[in-house]
Amino acid sequence: MAANGTIIGRTTRVRGRVTGEVDLEVQGFVEGEISVGGDVTVDTHGLVGANVRGRRLVVRGAVKGDLVGEEAIALEEGARVVGDVRAPRVAIAPGALVRGYVETGDGAAGSARATRAAPAARPVVAPKAAPAAAPKPVAAAVSAKPATMAAAARPAASSLNDGGAAANSTNANASHGANHAGGRRPPPPVVPALKKAKGQIAKKKER
Amino acid sequence: MASTVIGAGITVEGEITTDEDIVVAGTVRGKLSAKEAVTIEHGATVEADVVGSSLTVAGALTGNVTANERVDLQSGSRVVGNVKASRVTIADGALFKGNVDMDV
Repeated sequence: MAANGTIIGRTTRVRGRVTGEVDLEVQGFVEGEISVGGDVTVDTHGLVGANVRGRRLVVRGAVKGDLVGEEAIALEEGARVVGDVRAPRVAIAPGALVRGYVETGDGAAGSARATRAAPAARPVVAPKAAPAAAPKPVAAAVSAKPATMAAAARPAASSLNDGGAAANSTNANASHGANHAGGRRPPPPVVPALKKAKGQIAKKKER
Repeated sequence: MASTVIGAGITVEGEITTDEDIVVAGTVRGKLSAKEAVTIEHGATVEADVVGSSLTVAGALTGNVTANERVDLQSGSRVVGNVKASRVTIADGALFKGNVDMDV
């Protein structure tokens, strides 16, 4: 909880840029770039339809856009991320869904300032990932069509097995099991609202 | 505590809409629309048209204001813009330039 910082409440929609040097908690909807010097929390009900930059990012909600953390990124259970994830330390907890390129290490946050050049279809094994973030296929094995959203993340993981990517099959299985760990329901797919958000952004640019 | 807070040190450029209360202690440029109360705290800067059920201003506001219930400009506030509400109060010490429309 951002103690005396900024909270975008459950029913609040922000269309535009959010910048600053303090902490930010998103429980509602932000359709526009977030760039803050403090920590960013995207809560369970939070939806962000743009890139997010902060010191430490904690995601329990949905993000469609690139995540850049100056120090660390934690994708917790329920997180749904479609986009690249870059930070010195990245933790992806069981139950978090990611589709995109993940880069950890000291160069990650810096190189992310460059444009999103990397093709978003390369499985990455996090070198310094915390135990909770044991290497995951990151659902990137399938050439990512953003429109299909993270709902396709699990099918993508299992397709690793069929696709003859034997080396990755253990990872795929691990993540597959993790998603169902403890009999918990897997998080819902990234909500269609984000698709709409993309359209709205596009419309905005046209004007 | 309001459910949405734009804290000091945060700048929002764009449009904010909410069904809840909102408190602005930082900077908002664009448009600010709430179904409930809007509070612009001391030190906040708002350059936006503001719509809400009620509005309390202690900071700086540039833009037109429409409130269903009331608008209170507190001492130390600085408001430039037109104000439309059924009840408007301007405290001693508030700076204000603009039209007032109180549904007479």
